[in-house]
Amino acid sequence: MRGLVEYGIRHAKIVVGAMVLLTIIALVQFPRIKVDTDPENMLPADAPVRVFHHNTKKEFGLYDYMVLGVVNERHPQGVFNTETLAKIYNITEEIKDIKGVISREVIAPSTKDNIEQDGTGTVRFNWLMPYPPQTEDEVARIRSEAQDHPFFKGSVISDDGKALAIYVPIEKKDMSYRVSREIHKIVRKYAGDEQYHVTGLPVAEDQFGVEMFKQMAISAPLAGMIIFFLMWVFFKSVLLITAPMILAVMTVLITMGLLIGLGYPVHIMSSMIPIFLMPIAVLDSVHILSEFFDEYPRYNDRQKTVRLVFGELFSPMLFTSLTSIAGFFSLSFAPIPPVQVFGVFVAVGIALAWVLTMLFIPAYIMLLPEKTFTDFGRPHTEEKPHLVDRMLQFMRRVSTERFKAVLALTVIVTLASVCGIIHIRVNDNPVRWFTAGHPIRVADRVLNKHFAGTYEAYLVFEAEDGKSEIFIEPQMLRYIERLQAAVAQNPDVGKTTSLVDIVKKVYSELLGGDKRNDAVPQTKAAVAQCLISFENSHKPDDLWHLTTPDYSKANIWFQLKKGDNRNMSDVERLVDQYIRENPPPFAVRHAWAGLTYINVVWQNNMVVGMLKNFLGSFVIVLLMMLVLFRSPLKALISMIPLTVTILFIYSLLGFLGKDYDMPVAVLSALTLGLSIDFAIHFIQRAIDIHEQKKNPQETIKEMFGGPGRAIVRNALVIAIGFLPLLAAPLVPYKTVGFFMFMIMLVSSIATLFILPAIISISPKTFLSGRRGRSDSL
Amino acid sequence: MKKRFLGGIIFSFLFAAAVQGYAQELSVDQIVEKANRAAYYAGKDGLADVRMTITDAQGRVRSRQFKIMRLTIATGGEQKFYVYFNEPADVAQMTYMVWKNVGRDDDRWLYLPALDLVKRIAAGDKRSSFVGSHFVYEDVSGRSIHDDTHELTQATDTYYKLKNIPNDPKGVEFSYYYIWIDKANFMPKKAEYYNSKDQLIRVIEAVEVKDIQGYPTVIQSVTKDLERGGETVMEFDNIRYDIGLTEDIFTERYLRQAPAQWIK
Repeated sequence: MRGLVEYGIRHAKIVVGAMVLLTIIALVQFPRIKVDTDPENMLPADAPVRVFHHNTKKEFGLYDYMVLGVVNERHPQGVFNTETLAKIYNITEEIKDIKGVISREVIAPSTKDNIEQDGTGTVRFNWLMPYPPQTEDEVARIRSEAQDHPFFKGSVISDDGKALAIYVPIEKKDMSYRVSREIHKIVRKYAGDEQYHVTGLPVAEDQFGVEMFKQMAISAPLAGMIIFFLMWVFFKSVLLITAPMILAVMTVLITMGLLIGLGYPVHIMSSMIPIFLMPIAVLDSVHILSEFFDEYPRYNDRQKTVRLVFGELFSPMLFTSLTSIAGFFSLSFAPIPPVQVFGVFVAVGIALAWVLTMLFIPAYIMLLPEKTFTDFGRPHTEEKPHLVDRMLQFMRRVSTERFKAVLALTVIVTLASVCGIIHIRVNDNPVRWFTAGHPIRVADRVLNKHFAGTYEAYLVFEAEDGKSEIFIEPQMLRYIERLQAAVAQNPDVGKTTSLVDIVKKVYSELLGGDKRNDAVPQTKAAVAQCLISFENSHKPDDLWHLTTPDYSKANIWFQLKKGDNRNMSDVERLVDQYIRENPPPFAVRHAWAGLTYINVVWQNNMVVGMLKNFLGSFVIVLLMMLVLFRSPLKALISMIPLTVTILFIYSLLGFLGKDYDMPVAVLSALTLGLSIDFAIHFIQRAIDIHEQKKNPQETIKEMFGGPGRAIVRNALVIAIGFLPLLAAPLVPYKTVGFFMFMIMLVSSIATLFILPAIISISPKTFLSGRRGRSDSL
Repeated sequence: MKKRFLGGIIFSFLFAAAVQGYAQELSVDQIVEKANRAAYYAGKDGLADVRMTITDAQGRVRSRQFKIMRLTIATGGEQKFYVYFNEPADVAQMTYMVWKNVGRDDDRWLYLPALDLVKRIAAGDKRSSFVGSHFVYEDVSGRSIHDDTHELTQATDTYYKLKNIPNDPKGVEFSYYYIWIDKANFMPKKAEYYNSKDQLIRVIEAVEVKDIQGYPTVIQSVTKDLERGGETVMEFDNIRYDIGLTEDIFTERYLRQAPAQWIK
């Protein structure tokens, strides 16, 4: 295997040429990029919940809706004035013309029918707002009729009259960002006292995809620049530190080129591959540069120094790469297709980064002009020790002289961390992937304050035999009525709409509009006759959003004010509990559909899947450590800093109340793969050094020299390099930045304190014995 | 004027005009007038069994079965309709009555036996659905020939093609429609409705016309919703003209108690 390094040294030009060629081939693939930002694809297309969701949408003629909210806080009557209603009328007309909008199904005052009293003994079917109202009387009529109609109340108009919503159904979710921009363009023409907000899960999901790619184009280069600068601070040679940057860029480009070339769509997950690969690709190079920088002045011969450095680092670098590969490759067993693709390609990227490190870094060093290395390296006689060295000496003293205190503290921190982990809350909501000030979040807050809710879910009941006309049975309708009343107890349920609401509305209007008759009629025939009366309206098909023409199924439309997965899960539990405690009068089964619900399903898959993966990869890493160190004791010790780091970081989620969401779940693989790295370097090098020195004190001292510096430099470069992500407008980026920072910081501290402290318990036991794997390679 | 024009080919089974041969050099108004008579005023009265099959965009099928009676009060003018539902079972005995008026809105009544309720339905807007089908109320009662401006766009050996533009575009879902009138008997054969973007949104067609008691009568018609998909087919059976219906049948009393003489 060391032949790789030799080949790099001897055939530098061939290696570099081949790399450039490979990168060009990868770049050629990029124009074929296919982007997929639909979180629904977190589940395989044949996942039962997706199949059911699509069948439900088809069967009940439902669509994914965006919501345009019009808010007028200035006018005393809110939106109920001739001017605002005229704007709403015109905006509705313009929205209908947007490509991708299903114009027949737009829900607005001018597109929906109303049943109302028209003098004594007469009912009238009329559009709620057939044309912009001219007089205050007409405005008042629209307002009172809308408040009185189950389709409108709370959904289209807010109870305070300050806001009005237009529901815009779209053909495909991936059109929603474009459609939302066109809506924004339309409403700009109608500026005035009104504020306009656009939200809804499809917009949030689609817009997130768009902004994600933009953010990738900002974040990855920014992190790269800071890493570059920090490396310059440490190593002072621009030419030399360019090598890891080239390596990182090539790794990212080739991996992404491979992914695109093989025809995989770039999903939200895979768009994050560059940001994951970059630190990993840079890590090994920094170890090498750090040692090279320290050792070069001793030999003043780059070939010799390169061989020496690679000799020392080959084995730890191989194993740190293998553990990271294992961590990410384990994602390929997750039941979530985009996560599988992500895991496999990050693993491939890490392997590639390793090969490139072995080949390219030596080749690059050999190709640099000789004069680059004049005055290069760490001065061996320094008047004042460098800050990094002072830190290291402090760590050495504390960890060896007060090892008991360090170990006690470790135990305390670990126990405290376990407490924090218990408090972790699993939750997600694509809208909350945007930061609090983002227009989508603002719209979400404003509209959910005024309206029944912008998050939709559908509860579908079906006759057990699949055909009985049970949903015109008064008994069944009253059961649904009671169920709706029961779920209304949950404050997040803004509104539910069902066939019952239509039946009751038509029935009471037929009986003269008296509120006392707001009930389900007594007989099945009476229900059927109310429904056929409803079918005399302009939009008889509205009935089939709530039931099927054979009345064997019913759909209850839930509007939730909050779209967090745990809110949806609460509602789901509430419904299950109600049905358990109150058996339906007929044999029915029920199931959920709707985007809000789908998110719950894939998240549950993800959390469970990730936990399994995580435990699996933990065991795999442990086995690798056994192979590497050939000693169960050393293998176990090497796992300690990793375990402490993981427990500590995840406990912060519990303590800070940050939700365990999709990005956090995925980051567990990174945490595992990266947190072990420093421990591997530390133990391997310690054994090697002890082999030469045969003296534990000398060994520890030397460990806090070169190897310690490499760890600290690495930790600082990556941790600081990813800090700017904390300022990103997208929450998953902040999460990545936070994790990267914490992984580097905590795992380096854990390694540099805990390992020497453990060794200090009984230096001979932990350092002596057989050498590690490196000499057999 | 006292005449209404098509839209309601569906009921043209009831009407056959005493059109003698065909006239040359007819004016647009004359064509419209003749077609109106042919489509709506066949016989003094009429009765038929109707099967209505509603197929939605998903291919789901529902059906309605009803008996319809019509009495002409003044040729080219007032008429009365009585509809008695047999199926589906849950709406059996439901009745529906229309007095087609001249110069003012029609009167409409609905009797719901399960609620024992007679309800007047305001006729402000005639473009609402007829019992959930793809036919609208105006197809039933007929659209006044004065609601549109007519223009003869084509005359072949066999038919006239008229373009009709609504005088009041508010409250109708189409911008204009074409109508094909058979030169032989002045029966409207087909109507096509277009929206403001010149897209064809709706088609009504007389699929089969038969001679019954000397009146050309539509015995099958279909309307198609091209915007959303789906169609409704109406088939007419046991058609009889001039059976001596009396005006007292078309009153509120008979809504609750269907005239057994005619409704078996």
